[in-house]
Amino acid sequence: MVTFTIDRQEVQGEEGQTILEVAQAAGVEIPTLCYHKLLSPYGACRLCVVEVVAGGRPGLQTSCTYPIEEGLEVLTRSPAVVEARRVVLGLMLSRTPNVEAIQDLAREYGITEPPFPTDTPEERCILCGQCVRTCDELVQAHVLNFSERGIERRVGPPFLEKTRLCIGCGACAIMCPTGAIETVLEQDAVYREKPLGPTSAIWVPSLQAVPRVPVIDTDACIRFRQNDRSEGEIADACGACQTLCEAGAVDFTQQDEIIELDVGAIIVATGFEMWDPAKLSQYSYGKSPNIVTGLEFERLSNAGGITGGDILLDNGKKPERVAVIHCVGSRDHNAHEYCSRICCMYSLKQAHLVKDKTGADVYEFYMDMRAFGKGYEEFYERIQEEGVMMVRGRGAEVEVLPDGKLRVKGEDANLGRVVQVDVDMVVLSTAIEAPHDVEQVGAMFGLGRSPDGWFAESHPKLRPVETNTDGVFLAGCAQGPKDVPDTVAHAGAAASMALALLDKGEVTISPATAVVNEELCSACKTCISLCPYTAISFLEDKNVANINEALCKGCGTCVAACPAGAITGRHFTTEQIMAQIEGLFRLPVETRVEEVEA
Amino acid sequence: MSTSKAEQYRVDVLVCTCPACTKAGAPEMEQALKSEVGRRNLADEVRVVETGSRGFCSMGPIVIIQPEGILYCQVGAADVPEVVEETLVKGRVVERLTYKEPETHKAVPYYDQIPFYGKQMRVVLRNCGLINPMSIEEYVAVGGYQALAKALTVMTPEEVIAEVKKSGLRGRGGAGFPTGRKWGFARSAPGDVKYIVANGDEGDPGAFMDRSLMEGDPHAILEGMTIGAYAIGAHEGHIYVRDEYPLALRNLNAAIEQAREYGLLGQDILGSGFDFEIKITRGAGAFVCGEETALMASIEGRAGNPRPRPPFPAQSGLWGKPTNINNAKTWANIPLIIDRGADWFSQIGTETSKGTMIFSLVGKVNNTGLVEVPMGITLRELIFDIGGGIQDGKQFKAVQTGGPSGGCIPADLLDLPVDYEHLKDAGSIMGSGGMIVMDEGTCMVDVARYFLDFLKEESCGKCTPCREGIRQMLAILTRITEGEGEMADLAQLETLAHVVQDASLCGLGQTAPNPVLSTLRYFRDEYVAHIEDKKCPAGVCRALIEYTILEDACTGCGLCRRKCPQEAISGEKKKLHVIDQEKCIKCGVCFDVCKFDAVAVR
Repeated sequence: MVTFTIDRQEVQGEEGQTILEVAQAAGVEIPTLCYHKLLSPYGACRLCVVEVVAGGRPGLQTSCTYPIEEGLEVLTRSPAVVEARRVVLGLMLSRTPNVEAIQDLAREYGITEPPFPTDTPEERCILCGQCVRTCDELVQAHVLNFSERGIERRVGPPFLEKTRLCIGCGACAIMCPTGAIETVLEQDAVYREKPLGPTSAIWVPSLQAVPRVPVIDTDACIRFRQNDRSEGEIADACGACQTLCEAGAVDFTQQDEIIELDVGAIIVATGFEMWDPAKLSQYSYGKSPNIVTGLEFERLSNAGGITGGDILLDNGKKPERVAVIHCVGSRDHNAHEYCSRICCMYSLKQAHLVKDKTGADVYEFYMDMRAFGKGYEEFYERIQEEGVMMVRGRGAEVEVLPDGKLRVKGEDANLGRVVQVDVDMVVLSTAIEAPHDVEQVGAMFGLGRSPDGWFAESHPKLRPVETNTDGVFLAGCAQGPKDVPDTVAHAGAAASMALALLDKGEVTISPATAVVNEELCSACKTCISLCPYTAISFLEDKNVANINEALCKGCGTCVAACPAGAITGRHFTTEQIMAQIEGLFRLPVETRVEEVEA
Repeated sequence: MSTSKAEQYRVDVLVCTCPACTKAGAPEMEQALKSEVGRRNLADEVRVVETGSRGFCSMGPIVIIQPEGILYCQVGAADVPEVVEETLVKGRVVERLTYKEPETHKAVPYYDQIPFYGKQMRVVLRNCGLINPMSIEEYVAVGGYQALAKALTVMTPEEVIAEVKKSGLRGRGGAGFPTGRKWGFARSAPGDVKYIVANGDEGDPGAFMDRSLMEGDPHAILEGMTIGAYAIGAHEGHIYVRDEYPLALRNLNAAIEQAREYGLLGQDILGSGFDFEIKITRGAGAFVCGEETALMASIEGRAGNPRPRPPFPAQSGLWGKPTNINNAKTWANIPLIIDRGADWFSQIGTETSKGTMIFSLVGKVNNTGLVEVPMGITLRELIFDIGGGIQDGKQFKAVQTGGPSGGCIPADLLDLPVDYEHLKDAGSIMGSGGMIVMDEGTCMVDVARYFLDFLKEESCGKCTPCREGIRQMLAILTRITEGEGEMADLAQLETLAHVVQDASLCGLGQTAPNPVLSTLRYFRDEYVAHIEDKKCPAGVCRALIEYTILEDACTGCGLCRRKCPQEAISGEKKKLHVIDQEKCIKCGVCFDVCKFDAVAVR
């Protein structure tokens, strides 16, 4: 421990700490501008000067850089210190007269007007170098630095030219104490589903998330992205979240854990994904921030979302006219031919929300209104009574006008003509589809898919939750589009069937299964990949294939395919088939021949 | 060339090849000399040697003839035949080429009798202008590398440091910190890797002390650095040379090469087991890189921005390692101290400032050049005895010491002994030895403005007080010199000056207000004249002066009328001419061309 005095009070600090660090911990106020606890100290703004009166280098020294020494005596508000801060602030204010942070600080020292003439009233940069050190030490992109010297000194990338080395993280803009840096997105900002709008790489997915703790998106996180750049070496970049977390809860070393369980039943409930409406360019999705998908609208109107539940355009104002277009990507030969089932009802709900929250005019462009459930038709009527305008005809095209308004064109089949309406916001009731990895998941569980891409149930009418693989069940949209009440029913059914299976403790299987003759098996593994029911596994220790009787459906594929002839289909053995053939041949032949001739 | 060959020559003709003499025609003269010597078949008897500067720069090209010790001034190619015939062959002095005393015009042919040299004590500069700097043999012949041999063979590193401490040597870069003490810090800092650095950046405009040493006696610096490295425990040294010194770079590089060949640099120097290498880094045109932390940043390849101290370089310097950095002149003192002893050294100079100091005496003196004098000599002796007094019989007004951040000292302090403490008390600094003499034609307000302008350009811009404070002080001074000053400006100027001095990050900012503060202290009346009377008493500030034609002197020759670029002068032949003040742009051409001193500046 090092003991010294600040303003004649004894204080203590650790070897290697600076005067400022100890002062702040002791509650002594010292103004700073170029200092930040996450960055190495710089000593340039000179605001944090204190007077060393004994025990060290005498005179005004920057407390952010001066290492504490035993016996040091420091004054933080001596006349020399106050005078220096006052003049320095006056000089700074004259350089950047319109920066609020500087105005506030200067006012504390009695300065209300810039004391010196200024020829740069729009200047906001005070050359504190926080952005430079952030980019250099935290982000480690090393893009920003100072150029020129003296009053020409300025911050920027090399030669003040745009560079691809800038990863657009925006850290510099966040750290800048005077708001001198603006991040500009090169392309139009596009709202993404979760959450709406750009976010930092560490975020709580939603206020209703369980558990409600932040997660790190390793594709966006600077530290992980720098891992890629440093060719696998763990980069020491940023880590600001870990440094700032007082609970010490951030652990960058967490690895994926692979858990192996032996189970008797599996329920596949892998849900759906939103189809990407950018695939049909006539809807102009991505060309305006005010064209959103149905799910994005849900987020917008959610009280836990970025607008607190207000329906707002990207300019922060409420829309005056909104169009909702049904069947975007559904019932479409160029996209998905099926009906996504859920959109009509949520579109009506969203129309109601728009009316309720903004009073805007709402136009629903629909083909058929699928209000099939309990209370659904009644709701549809109510929405019409609220004054939502129903246009019976698919919204064909959305055009982004130069002033930002959106022109929706479609056919009004009731009127028999093409109509168009200029609105402020368009909600695309986008199709839902099977998740992008449905093929891999299917292969894992031996699940087939129906032509519309969803997982195949055993029987479309009679077995909606079972699959051709015994013990694997489907729940929810994994099997096909359905809304919440239907999903609840479907999932309940799957759970019951799984429970029933487990509860029985035994399974009844058909005796007509295949069996491997271990002495003949040559371990070629041909049968394993052919089995549609993933019933065959390979025993490493015995070096032979093995058929799970519970899974085998006796289809005979492996029997036919085995090159060594090692697999026998029970009750369909060669001998039995040959006997059946011989039996056929023993039938009186003459009679049959005569009948033919006649 | 070996020393044995030197014995066969009868005469050595030393030709100074420093940039000043070069500009005055030394190369052509040397060429002529060599051809004449060849033509007269004297090549076996007469040796022509190129040397560094001997310091007498206003009189170049300089030729010194040894062993007689004759010094010829302003020798041109056309003078060569006479020099060869009269002096080299017949042994007679060519009087017209010798130095003449300004008042009596008496010829002083012999070098050590010239007053310019008489009062000097050229110990650090002992070899400059005497030996060929490209020849290590000549350096050794005059006693070079004896000190290094002594240090490595019979002294321990601690003994070397003790000797330097005892000598009282203080850093010659300007701050004047006791050198031995500084070496002690670096020695006792923990760690195996340490560095030493020689600061050859010499950014002060008009300063050429380090340059002359690096050009004229590079081995002295190398030897000093090697001794220092031994004392501190460093094995790598760096010399930072400003890029505008190509000759210094060439000569230092050649010297390093030769020292390596002779086993005086590199591994196992002189068989002592001590290794030491020296590298040279070139500057890139920034005054601020003369500041030690900025210099080290520059060596590391980063931009030359200073950083706050502590930690000091002795704890954390180059690449974070303990580093001892000294000025080139300081290093050149070391071989002398080890060779002749600390006692000898400490007898020269004053109680607090030991040894000699090299000054570049420039400005309005008759003898401008490089002078080396013991500390404690008075300003009067420097300027009048050595400098030969003020040019054109004008009056001494002030002398600025220490470079662009130095203070201006007035006439009533002419008997001030020149040492660190006295200069500081007078409001100036020793700096790296600049001494600019000013006469009554110098405007002190303009001087302050001029140097602030320089410092504004050279400020690195990192800290607020220096970057913004100097800019605002300059704006105020400019307004004052343009006749738009107010008395309140003086108070604001002083406030700014004190804060810039107290709160700046590095020495550039901390010393920048010196010209302002010292001229305000000693020449306040000039400021007041500019502000209240809107007049420039020295006749310099254009907005405040007026050119008029004196009635009794004007002959009506019309020369000024014809030369005036604004056609502002009117008058008839043989009649008094008149300047139209509305049109006059104060260019001063009329003043310069008038042969009758009829144009007055007020």
